[in-house]
Amino acid sequence: MIERARGWKSARVALVLALVALALAVGWSARPRTETPAERVDRITSELRCVVCQGLSVRDSPSESARQMRDIVAQRVAEGRSDDEIRDEFRASYGDWVVLAPPLASWSGLVWLVPLAALLVGAFVALGRFRPPAAGAREPSAAELAQLRERARREESLDLPLDAR
Amino acid sequence: MSWADLGGAALRAALPLAIWGCGAAAYGAAKRDGRALASSRWSALLVLVLVGLAILAMEGALVTHDFSIEYVARNNARATPLFFTVISLWAALEGSILLWTIVLAGATAYVAWRGVREMPRLATVALAVLLGMLAFFLLLVTTPAADPFVRIDPPPDGSGPNPLLQNHPLMALHPPLLYLGYVLFSVPFAYAIASLILGEGGDRWLVATRRFALVSWALLGVGIVAGSWWSYAVLGWGGYWAWDPVENAAIMPWLTATAYLHSVMVEEKRRLLRTWNLSLVITTFALTILGTFLTRSGVVNSVHAFTQSAIGPLLLGYFVAIVVLSVGLLLWRMPRLADQGGIGAPLSREAIFLFQNVVFVAATLTVLLGTLYPLIAEAISGAQLSIGRPYFDRVEVPLALALLFLMGIGPQLPWHGASRATLERQFTVPVVAAALGAAVAVVIGPSGVFAVLTYALAAFVAATVVQEFARGVRARRVLHGETAVVALASLIRRSGRRYGGYIVHLGIVVVAVAVATSQAGTVQIERTLSPTGSVQAGPYLLTLNSVRDMSEPQRELVVADLDITGGGTSGHLRPALVFYPNSTQAIGSPGIAASPRDDVYTILAAYDSRAHSWATIRVLVIPLVSWIWLGGAIVGLGAVIAALPPPRSRTRPVTVARVTAARVVEP
Amino acid sequence: MSRWLRAVLVVAIASLVVVLALAFRRAPTDIRTGTVGKPAAAFTLEKLDGPGTWSSEQAKGKVVVVNFFASWCIPCKEENPALVRVYERYRASDVVFIGVLYQDSRDSGLKYVRDNGVAWPTVIDDAGRVAFSYGVFGIPETFFIGPDGVIVGRHIGPIDETTLVRGIECLRVPNAGDCPRASASR
Repeated sequence: MIERARGWKSARVALVLALVALALAVGWSARPRTETPAERVDRITSELRCVVCQGLSVRDSPSESARQMRDIVAQRVAEGRSDDEIRDEFRASYGDWVVLAPPLASWSGLVWLVPLAALLVGAFVALGRFRPPAAGAREPSAAELAQLRERARREESLDLPLDAR
Repeated sequence: MSWADLGGAALRAALPLAIWGCGAAAYGAAKRDGRALASSRWSALLVLVLVGLAILAMEGALVTHDFSIEYVARNNARATPLFFTVISLWAALEGSILLWTIVLAGATAYVAWRGVREMPRLATVALAVLLGMLAFFLLLVTTPAADPFVRIDPPPDGSGPNPLLQNHPLMALHPPLLYLGYVLFSVPFAYAIASLILGEGGDRWLVATRRFALVSWALLGVGIVAGSWWSYAVLGWGGYWAWDPVENAAIMPWLTATAYLHSVMVEEKRRLLRTWNLSLVITTFALTILGTFLTRSGVVNSVHAFTQSAIGPLLLGYFVAIVVLSVGLLLWRMPRLADQGGIGAPLSREAIFLFQNVVFVAATLTVLLGTLYPLIAEAISGAQLSIGRPYFDRVEVPLALALLFLMGIGPQLPWHGASRATLERQFTVPVVAAALGAAVAVVIGPSGVFAVLTYALAAFVAATVVQEFARGVRARRVLHGETAVVALASLIRRSGRRYGGYIVHLGIVVVAVAVATSQAGTVQIERTLSPTGSVQAGPYLLTLNSVRDMSEPQRELVVADLDITGGGTSGHLRPALVFYPNSTQAIGSPGIAASPRDDVYTILAAYDSRAHSWATIRVLVIPLVSWIWLGGAIVGLGAVIAALPPPRSRTRPVTVARVTAARVVEP
Repeated sequence: MSRWLRAVLVVAIASLVVVLALAFRRAPTDIRTGTVGKPAAAFTLEKLDGPGTWSSEQAKGKVVVVNFFASWCIPCKEENPALVRVYERYRASDVVFIGVLYQDSRDSGLKYVRDNGVAWPTVIDDAGRVAFSYGVFGIPETFFIGPDGVIVGRHIGPIDETTLVRGIECLRVPNAGDCPRASASR
């Protein structure tokens, strides 16, 4: 018995330690880091659309146009322009279409709310299902019984050949 | 009699037969007329034979290069090799719809001949529904919308198939797999509709079509992975998933089908979530039609870029009809579907299945709205927007992680609820494993919070699966005295559904880890080299030997000869640009060195066309990407195990239990 | 399922269908306006057919037709006869034609120019900056710039004589209000 209890105890300790380690690992990986210029170019080009491709980003596309655009972004980053300025320059040439995801602060930014809204609605629907278990059994009334017998008969008839009576 | 005559006549004969069969089955079910049912069964079989004849006629026309048929002239040429000639049956719109039609005809015939024997009345109505849908597709292939046998003045030679489709033999597999997945889902849908029409059938329709749903889900999943592999190995941009509208069209029904496969277990065990299950089946089927519509109508621009045709409005009309009919039926029958009893505890298996329903639907809705948003924005304000990877990645990854978590805890929680002791017993080891997984990611693996979370959750799920297997093996050893290996084999054979499911979960875990690692850890370098120049990418050194022209029977190529050394490998890579005679654009053909650790992916981005004195090479070092294909294979294997019928000794005819007063009150 | 959820469902499905039906009106590869209506970016590029540079300053105050092309571009070859004819027609006037070589080597470009009788000045845009500033999607693309330096119209794809003449004429006439903004051909 005592060994059993000790086993439980060490399991609990292990559980707590593991949770702490997990939190630390996640926190460590989420720490803010400064971007190198190359990383910044990568990030910005991954958000711009290659104009001669089918939906690929400027970063992913191996085409010549994309390469030239990457050069432009690299040059602008080296000049010290902000992300918005670089994106605006692309939008001035190609329209909003060239940005692969609408900015948060705009009408089209509503699309970012979609998953959240879907989850909330779903959660609302799901939580409505949580009813406490039936408070004690009760005998069915005669009418309910007849209804259930009829339902059972109908379901059973599904197994019989089509033209059986 | 020419091929076009034969094929066209066969299809035009099949259409009225399908309509007759639909009517006969409906009449037979309504009036309980056995002869009407027999008539409709025969018409279903005949329709299959006729459509098969049309397929043979088209293949015959393709193989004999009969360019008097427009479809053959546009998708085949005399020089096309036999293999690609045969698979160009599904190379373009009309042939694809014909392929869809024959798979649907096959499924309908199966229901007509085997399904009707098991649950005659339900299956008869389902047969009527299927024949009705088949009639629609036959209508498509006999009208200018998608008639494959349209005739033209034969040109001297055809245009040949789209160059992208000729590049790889895997093109043979991808569309049929996807179509089988799509179309086989018509059967659970038809049974669900039949159950709603009849207002009874309770949970029977579920049980009858369980295997169909599982097989169709598995084929769709494997088809998606195959398409993803093709995108990676053939399209030559270095990625495997771009959230292209056509990719989205395929993954949406797969997501809801996955939710459905799990949710049915709650209905089987506890008779709950009926409305959810019916809704999920209807949604999945509707999404297959919507997906086809998006791919074929030309309203969204994508990699598949099929030409617009009149099929768009017809498919939209079909989609509307399906949705209106099924949602109407569902709302009408809603009172009868009310659940008896409720879900008591949030930490119970049925609750987890409910949560996964919510998350899967949220994920599907997000993909749907993201794909359609540009259309919606344009319709409302004329603005032209793009929604691409940055949106989808950012939004779907957290949902996928939530699903991984649910995948880990769901099978470990008992029905009705779990006590604290149960929780500790079940989850201590997996949580420790999760911490270890996170540690691995932090120390040696990819960086980034999502990668760490993925590794942690993957380890969590893997530990739960191993735990389940270990417990099962241990139980069998104690009960039956079997050795570990024999016990494992028996487990898998006897409880195939359960342990096959666990194997599927393992496959998903492999895919998740592979995706997270490849996304976070890819190294990308582009450099212009002259011969003997080299570029270092990660631990690999690539040296350009030469840029040369190559001539093949069907195409011209410009190849960059690369040597790769370092990182424990040595070999040659030959990325190329391929020029097909009938196309102005060159198609990139990547040179890939695959290994369990990394793929070294090389692209010939540009080259000196005059003197071949330089070439711009793009190198990507993509870690663990080969494990994605492996994971897909594991999922397929698990699905096969789950779908196999249990050993003979276990099967007994299902007896219908009698309802007693005592049973009524059982929750 | 509560009443409002049912209503939401019906409305959602109806809107989906309406949106999809409306999407038929416009082809997805449709016309994009981009830089149309904005002042054309000034540029100075090396001449293709000789030493020195050509600057957009030289065309200030005139009607300008800018045509992006390359030697590997088959539709460019298709549209070239139309360009030659229209150029001849306006040669004596002060309409400026300028060809910009895009993503191509100097030698190939020169060969194309000589083989196809491109008589108007041509320059080479080797870093693609000018094409970017004009918002070129792919070649051939032709831009019409008014005397005030604003891009009034663009045509994506091989251009024909009628469209060229219409684009130029509407700019030469003082009231340039109803010039075609964007057009495309494939």
